[in-house]
This record gives sequence, structure tokens and C-alpha cells, in this order.
Amino acid sequence: MPVNRDPNNHITDQELLDRFYADGNKEWLGILLSRYTLLLLGVCMKYLKQEEEAKDCVQQIFVKIITELPKYKVTYFKSWIYTIARNHCLMKLRDQHGRKVELSENMLADWDDVSGKSRHLEKDRLLELMGESLGELGEDQKRCILLFYLEKRSYQEIVDITGYTLMQVKSYIQNGKRNLKLLIERKTSKT
Amino acid sequence: MNDDLLNILSNSNKDIDNQLLMDYLSGKLSAEKNHEVEKMMADNDLFNDAMEGLQQIRNKKDIQTYVEQLNRDLQKNLTKKRQRREKRKLKEGPWGYVAAIVIIMLCIASYYVVKKVLAAHGYPSGK
Repeated sequence: MPVNRDPNNHITDQELLDRFYADGNKEWLGILLSRYTLLLLGVCMKYLKQEEEAKDCVQQIFVKIITELPKYKVTYFKSWIYTIARNHCLMKLRDQHGRKVELSENMLADWDDVSGKSRHLEKDRLLELMGESLGELGEDQKRCILLFYLEKRSYQEIVDITGYTLMQVKSYIQNGKRNLKLLIERKTSKT
Repeated sequence: MNDDLLNILSNSNKDIDNQLLMDYLSGKLSAEKNHEVEKMMADNDLFNDAMEGLQQIRNKKDIQTYVEQLNRDLQKNLTKKRQRREKRKLKEGPWGYVAAIVIIMLCIASYYVVKKVLAAHGYPSGK
């Protein structure tokens, strides 16, 4: 499935954003947003589950972005667009089902926060903390984390090695990562 | 302890390679490349949610059609907005004022013409 090549792929997302803020020309915005169409479609599909509905939702998100972006100086475009997309989907779900949808547990800021806090630590100290924290993880999470990050195995390879299902592997990696983050956070706040 | 473990603390902020993502979805990548995409997913919630959502689209060939359709609509939307802005600019320019003056003058002229015609036919002027 070849994707149409972006003739502007020598321009980074950040440059496109800077150019848009500099001259207000929406062509830059068009190029930037079309790079995210696939991802936005995926995010909308994840929440809404219906292909037609997801497509409509992407269009609404585009309109929202075109209206909102000039109002703010957005620095982290990827995080910003994700927040806009996810909130829009959650709002749509709330409207449809009249039920409260819990916001995603892995808020974007969480990880930035920890990396920020641990950034001042010496690399050796960080590795030491990481080693300690890994030892405190459950066996399943630890195994998947090591295979994924240390041995650079793909999800499928980890499935084959461990016998876990694909869902379990993904969940052990995500939860393991989150737990590691919390453990390191706890340790750094003590010191 | 291996330095690679510090990657667990990283947050991916790579620009998107849509072709790589599509190839991942079609199962065309090597184990090494699969790991590359999966690492982006593990490090970035946007990638993770997007890939999980895209995997739910039954016919993977439809994805490309949807994306092209959405991009066409996006361009149309942006062009429409641009044209509307240009139209407004044109209205705000000197031609807008010239047109307004001409219309006012035409109204005044028609008023006098109608008045004269009515007077010629013996209708009272209204005073």
C-alpha cells in the first residue's frame, strides 16, 4: 500500500508550524495536517469504532484545529493535536451515550513530568534506580520490558518467546513502563 | 546495566513516517522495523492509540482511500477559507467604496427621474 509521497518532507513539522505562525499562510497548515490524517483516523477509530463516524470526526477535528491553532502558540504540536483529537472523541462518545467516559489514565504530562524530574540525575544514578525498580516489577512485566527495550524484540517475537498473547505483551510493556516511572519518581523524591 | 534501558524513559517525538506505519499494518516489515514502530507506540500515546485504531479497520486497503479523501476535503476547506478571505479583502478595498458611491448616485438620479416623470403626467409631487 504505497502512501503518496509528501513533496515537502524536507520541511519538519516544527518548521511548518513556525512558518504558519510567521505568515499565517494556511498552506503550511494544510501540509502539516495532512501528515497527521492517518494518525487522527486511527485515534478516532480507536474511540468510535465505526469507520464512517471516524472519518467525520477527523474532519471535525481539522476544523477545530484550523480555528484554534492561530489563537495559541503551540510548542508541542504532536501532544497538542493528540489532546484535541482524544477530547473530541470522548466528547462525542459522551454525547452519544450520555455516559461519563473516564479520561485516559496515561495523561501526556505524566511521563514528561518524570523524565523532567529525573533529567537532573546523573546517568549512573538513573541506571542504578532503573535496575532497582526493575527488580521490583512483577515477573511478567519485567520480562516483557527487558525483551522489548534491551533485546529490541518486536511484539510478535515476544509473543513467540513468552507464550503470552499479543494483548498481554502490550499491556505488560505499557503497565511495566508506567510502574517503572512511578517507582523511579518515588525514589527520586526521597533523595 | 545496559544504557538501552534508559530508552524506557524516553518520549518519542519523531516526525511521522506514514509509509512505515502502513507497512507495519500490512505486516510487511522485518522484525527489526516492527520493533522500531512498536517502540514509537510504546513511547507515544498518539502513535499507540492511532495504530490500535487503524488495526480495527477491516479492509486495510480502505485506509489509504480514506486518508486521500480526508486530505482532499482538508485542502478544499482551506482553499474555501482562503477564497472567502480574499473576497472579503476585495470588498474592503477601494472598489467597495466606489461601488457604494455609484449605487447611491444611481438612486439619487432615479429619484429625480421618477419625480420628473410623475410631474410631467400631472401627479402631485407629494408636498
